[in-house]
Amino acid sequence: MRKLIEFIRSIYVVVLFVVLEAAAIGYYAHSSSYTQARLLARSNQVAGGVHGFFAGVRRYLFLGRENRQLAERVASLEEQLAKYQEAETEARLDTYLRDIGDSKYRFATAAVVGNSLNRMQNLLTLNRGREDGIEEEMGVLAPDGSLVGYVVACTDRYAVAISVLNTSFRTSGKIAASDYSGSLYWDGVDPNVVVLGELSKYAEPQPGQEVVTTGLSEYFPADILIGWVESAQLNETKTSYTVRVRLAAEMSRLNEVILVADRDRYEIQELRNSEQVEQHSRVN
Amino acid sequence: MYRTLPYIGLFAAVVLLQVFLFDNLSISVYLNPLVYVVFIALLPLDAQPVSLLGSGLLLGITMDCAMGAAGINTIATLPIAFFRPSLAGMICGRENVREGGIPSPDRLGSRKFFAFLLVLTLIHHTIFFLLEALSWRLLPHTILRILLSSALSVAFGWIVTRIFTAKIPARV
Repeated sequence: MRKLIEFIRSIYVVVLFVVLEAAAIGYYAHSSSYTQARLLARSNQVAGGVHGFFAGVRRYLFLGRENRQLAERVASLEEQLAKYQEAETEARLDTYLRDIGDSKYRFATAAVVGNSLNRMQNLLTLNRGREDGIEEEMGVLAPDGSLVGYVVACTDRYAVAISVLNTSFRTSGKIAASDYSGSLYWDGVDPNVVVLGELSKYAEPQPGQEVVTTGLSEYFPADILIGWVESAQLNETKTSYTVRVRLAAEMSRLNEVILVADRDRYEIQELRNSEQVEQHSRVN
Repeated sequence: MYRTLPYIGLFAAVVLLQVFLFDNLSISVYLNPLVYVVFIALLPLDAQPVSLLGSGLLLGITMDCAMGAAGINTIATLPIAFFRPSLAGMICGRENVREGGIPSPDRLGSRKFFAFLLVLTLIHHTIFFLLEALSWRLLPHTILRILLSSALSVAFGWIVTRIFTAKIPARV
């Protein structure tokens, strides 16, 4: 018995190490970018204030550039508004017949208080949370309206979004003004370039063409700018293109973001999960 | 236990520096310094293996929570805490380890301490970045990340060491 205790005493550090390491690996293996985002959201309740202070200092330095961007955005929206006002007069008769209600999308803004770029799973921390009407699965856009990511976790005052520069990020994208879509992801190499994979060989992407969202995604409206085609390569079987896309959003200089939520999302999800739809998607 | 207070201070300093400074540097994908490793390197040479392991666990979990990294820091920090006594024996010499005290360039000689810090950092960064990438496809890319980030971590770690050991006599 005493020998057994001696033996255990001589190796208990090794045992402890193996147990702890196994537990850590187990936890990591069962984690997803959602658990990571939740973890970060929780620690932000403590560190959020300090991050906020540094972000405030940084934001002050970029005010000029941001103002210019906003002015450009206002000008382009002004132009669109003029178009809609014209259309509205024509459509007024229709509105007498039915009430349109709210617009399909709801917008909000937030400041970026934490933004990593040098990891494989990059996340953004935003200074608005549930109290400000932010909720999970809202799309995140840069001030110029280009795609940045989507919200995965919220606390009352903060939200954490998965950035497009996260190897777990997936959405669908297409070449502007065409109907060929592919799947958009980051390969973890260059923080300015994402990949549009499985794009049909008939799409024939040319460098400089715009790449936009498709509207098939639950997170983003259609035709949100993602970036521009940099180069395209046919795959080995010559059935599809893998396109390298230069990001429109400047991820390293992101200080403020626009959040967008689809008001109909829950209704659509509910409909998809309803029994009638399920009956038709079941394979007999 | 001696010098507990300076070590609590060092722990807080490396954690805060890592979270609020180095994690926000965002220089490039290839330069991601994880300077908190220096805390493990600076623990007393004669520290009990259990307390080393405990410190490693605490440091790993703290960094995981702060970075939102779900275990990856703990996985990388535990092995260097565990292998530190044998590494210290190999690199710094058994004599020095038996004598105890804080490892520092003055005490061990710059070359020995540099080698010690470099090996610990390389082991830690190799585990960290391989786990983060989780694919062999981008292996050259990952190796480059390991090497460049380690170089930066060692450089910053050296500065932290200089500051931490500045007021402490070479032999305790």
